[in-house]
Amino acid sequence: MPKCTINGKEVEVQPGQTIMQAFHQMKEEIAYYCWHPGLSVAGVCRMCMVDIEGNPKLQIACNTPVVEGMKISNRTEKVKDAAKWTLDFHLINHPLDCPICDQAGECGLQEFYMAYGKYDPEMAAPKQKKRKAVDLGPTVVLDTERCILCSRCVRFTDEVSKTHELGIFSRGDHSEIGTFENKPLDNKYSTNVVDICPVGALTSKDFRFRQRVWYLKEFNSICNGCSTGCNVKISYNQMGLYRVKPVYNEKVNGHWMCDEGREIYKPVNLDRRLKKARTNSGGKVTEVETASAVRQMGELLKSTVAKHGPDSVGLVLTGQYTNEEYEALISYFVKDLKSKKIFHWKNDPEKFDEFDGFLLRGDKNPNTAGLKKSLDAVGIKGDWKDLEPAHLKVLVVAAPENQVVYPDTAAKAAGFAKIPSVIWLTPTRDTNYDLSQWQIPVKSFAEKNGTFINAQGLAQKFKKGVSIVHDAVSLEELVEMISVDHVHSHVQAEARL
Amino acid sequence: MEVKILTEHYDKDEYVTLKGYQKNGGYEIIKKALKMKPEEIIQLVKDSGLRGRGGAGFPTGMKWSFLPKNNEPRYLLCNADEGEPGTYKDRLMMERAPHQLIEGMVISAHAVQSKKSYIYIRGEYTYPYKVVEKAIREAYDAGFLGKNILGTGFDHDMDIYRGAGAYICGEETGMISSLEGLKGQPKLKPPFPAVQGYLRKPTIVNNVETLACVTYIVKDGPQVFRKNGTEKSPGTKLFSISGDLQKPGNYEVALGISLMDMIQMAGGLKPGRKLKAVIPGGSSAPVLTAEEAQKAKMDFDSLAAMGTMLGSGAVIVIDDSQCMVDILSVIMSFYHHESCGQCTPCREGTGWLDKVVRGIVSGQGRVQDIDLIETVAKNMMGRTICALSDAAAMPAISFVTKFRDEFEFFVREKKSKVKGDYKIKGLSDAQVHH
Repeated sequence: MPKCTINGKEVEVQPGQTIMQAFHQMKEEIAYYCWHPGLSVAGVCRMCMVDIEGNPKLQIACNTPVVEGMKISNRTEKVKDAAKWTLDFHLINHPLDCPICDQAGECGLQEFYMAYGKYDPEMAAPKQKKRKAVDLGPTVVLDTERCILCSRCVRFTDEVSKTHELGIFSRGDHSEIGTFENKPLDNKYSTNVVDICPVGALTSKDFRFRQRVWYLKEFNSICNGCSTGCNVKISYNQMGLYRVKPVYNEKVNGHWMCDEGREIYKPVNLDRRLKKARTNSGGKVTEVETASAVRQMGELLKSTVAKHGPDSVGLVLTGQYTNEEYEALISYFVKDLKSKKIFHWKNDPEKFDEFDGFLLRGDKNPNTAGLKKSLDAVGIKGDWKDLEPAHLKVLVVAAPENQVVYPDTAAKAAGFAKIPSVIWLTPTRDTNYDLSQWQIPVKSFAEKNGTFINAQGLAQKFKKGVSIVHDAVSLEELVEMISVDHVHSHVQAEARL
Repeated sequence: MEVKILTEHYDKDEYVTLKGYQKNGGYEIIKKALKMKPEEIIQLVKDSGLRGRGGAGFPTGMKWSFLPKNNEPRYLLCNADEGEPGTYKDRLMMERAPHQLIEGMVISAHAVQSKKSYIYIRGEYTYPYKVVEKAIREAYDAGFLGKNILGTGFDHDMDIYRGAGAYICGEETGMISSLEGLKGQPKLKPPFPAVQGYLRKPTIVNNVETLACVTYIVKDGPQVFRKNGTEKSPGTKLFSISGDLQKPGNYEVALGISLMDMIQMAGGLKPGRKLKAVIPGGSSAPVLTAEEAQKAKMDFDSLAAMGTMLGSGAVIVIDDSQCMVDILSVIMSFYHHESCGQCTPCREGTGWLDKVVRGIVSGQGRVQDIDLIETVAKNMMGRTICALSDAAAMPAISFVTKFRDEFEFFVREKKSKVKGDYKIKGLSDAQVHH
């Protein structure tokens, strides 16, 4: 394996690796706009220039392979001067509209200007005028004046989504990113171009103008939009969740995620949530404390089993909860109540096994595999067709967090109408549940720790990022509250809240 | 002073036709060459010291020997996208002697073991295209192209591809992109075309004149070829001489001829005029002052030693009636228009230079603009995928450093030092971006 020296430090790299990859291996800082680890090398931004000992000309790190014994530096005056000038070339026609630009605060131009620039502009001539606020399609807006023509988005649509909507039109300093006539940027992965745009040229219709990024914090999580389990980071502040972006995981999603997955923050926000437990007695719906509702739910389950036998109580589970929650609730049903009436509710069974070959799966649940594993452990099949409402007195339903992907929620709720007591455990508010006796608010994926097992069988742990509905409980907490003595659990619940 | 080797029969109209070409000794060498081993031809070309006639002056034999030793299909591309302002020699060669090119190409194709070649002709060259197209048909009919040429077992097909008028498609990887049906933009190197070129297969790109020379090297041997020219720039070369001369045109001379002799050969300056400057190798070559021109020898190394270049052999002679600011403005508009826009320093720099120089000629110039031109240009050099950025920067730097007084005068007085109140129109934005 070839060895080289980077900024004075020796490093051994894989044969054929570029200087850019060696810099990343060494965690050495290097400036670039057009290079992206998930795309082909374009070599056009010319920011990543390095000084190679014995070579009179600066070379770009992204397309120069490491050769045994190379001595490479990007800290020489020559490199710094070149970076400053290349940055200036990027900026001479840039509109500098940072105050109204959505990218401000996370912009490559701002970052490198602070690192390499800090000069007074020498450009006195009028700037190139180009199109602004160009509607590229359902998800993305383009500002061609801010664009630095790094071609990342074009390469994304050519190489990753393979949809080829974007191109660079015209030549020279009047070049523009654009789409072909009547061919908008419209594919299931389109918003990735916003993530990879190093400047404010491509902005997300969903996120733009909604929040300044410096008012946002981030937490890492696992996308609960389908069984692929893409690694994501979610931006939030005290007002709620704002956007979802992919986090690199070589084994799962690489650098990307789908547009559907970007929507998962929406059901988590307060406006869609069930904030208090609700009970319906004789058509009159009243709000109650969660702890009290949970206690009454536990009592109902126990008394029903005592009166009508264990098989009079049933449990419906969706693949939207964590392993830990399944284990707790299934164990409570099987061991404490001795009921084996547990059923797996799938979204759209016809499309359930679909896969687009990249990331999107028809199984719109992050943890179907985890649910199956937990059911297998107690020898329960969970076939939906075995659910016979007429034989049940109480049915507990762990409702989907993201109802959008469960088109049959209303039908299911209506189907349960014959059962005397239906208890919906649900993160979201849905009037379809109002007929039921109880609705208990549970935590969304963003509000709890847990593990999802994805379609490939990979178990991924994630942590609580935010607290949105303070009266919501996880299924684990719920089981804990109903399985111990009432007074005790009530005290615990109070303490937790 | 003219040494007519390639151009020996160019004055005969019949030379355009297959019959006329054969009558004057054409398609004789191909018979000999196809019986030779490819390595033998490559060795002859190496021994001849032939350097590429398209502008870079790279040794042709060496370029050919970069081909990988494998059985992948190879392509030979003839670069006939003659776009360097001032150059018009390939046009003459294609118009007057298309079969000379075809013969040279088949011999070269045999040397590099290519079964398919393309002639990439500049879009504006409608007439040369028609002439070459006709000649290719004649060559096919006569068995000099196609299957089993002259019974030697060597197959070779040749096609023409017409460019759409982009200067950048004369850059070999830009040409390859264009030929592949892509936007004509240069490709990153490595990989080099000899390893991965057209359709990612090994590809050799040679200029029209270079390929035509190969026939003569095979015919007479490297020693005869070397009788003309210098040790490091052997042979004759066609020069396209233009500008303020009495007899501008294409002249074939031995490399190494003095620039002043060449100017005399082209009829000398117009009466009463004085030499001011010479651009010796196309618009991208740094300009020479009249004093430098006195000493200049027209070969690759002598001009390189003077900080300029032989380029494609386009000599542009400028007399004392011309305004250097005006000329630079035209050159800068050209590169601004022709930058492909891939690499940031070139995309933005060519536009910036154009705007600053146009600012000066329109009377809006600032004193600091003169230094700014130089600084911007210096920071465009050696920072891009291809040489277009350098091609724009080099004239800018040489003009403002060697004729600084004219720029200073223009900025100070808001008029041309040479042409007085003459209003320089320059090109409008709309013209540049048409």
